[in-house]
Amino acid sequence: MICSTNNPAQRRFFYRFAVAMLLYAALLVPTILAFVHYRPAGLMAYALAVLPALPILGMLIVIGLYLAEEKDEFIRNLQIQSLLGGIGLTLALVSVWGFMENFTRVPRLDLFLVYPIFWGFVGISAFVVWMRNR
Amino acid sequence: MKNRLRVLRAEREWSQADLAQRLEVSRQSVNAIETGKFDPSLPLAFKLARLFETSIEAIFSDEG
Repeated sequence: MICSTNNPAQRRFFYRFAVAMLLYAALLVPTILAFVHYRPAGLMAYALAVLPALPILGMLIVIGLYLAEEKDEFIRNLQIQSLLGGIGLTLALVSVWGFMENFTRVPRLDLFLVYPIFWGFVGISAFVVWMRNR
Repeated sequence: MKNRLRVLRAEREWSQADLAQRLEVSRQSVNAIETGKFDPSLPLAFKLARLFETSIEAIFSDEG
């Protein structure tokens, strides 16, 4: 994220994002323990497996809320460029990797890794966008 | 887009931060508009014009 001082929309974003992260951690640990100790099956297994993903969906909503609430149009423009860069790089990587998985012996990329990879790319993209607009 | 923001600001002895505060935007935004890297939206252009008590055309020019 490109941060500017004294920006209420960014403060709300970081607060909401932190809450979603805490929820993620709070749901992930009991989900893992439930699968290890009780081996749930059927619908219960599906419901439990989806549980830790819900805060991640929440984080995506938090991004949407931030973009809607950011009043500084220049900063909003930079954030959108950074996010688009992150989305584009992530799609490029998973597309290339997918074909490599099909035709070569590269290791399988677990889908849950796509989300942290996306944020890594957003970080790189934000740095480039920021350097270009200093 | 070319603009006279730097001159207008200098006439009032405002820093970029002063102008940013009056416009309720970041200093980076003022700098980006002033250096022509970012064209403001119409609402922000009107806000600038009102602040400097002039017209949008007197601040921004799409020629040259």
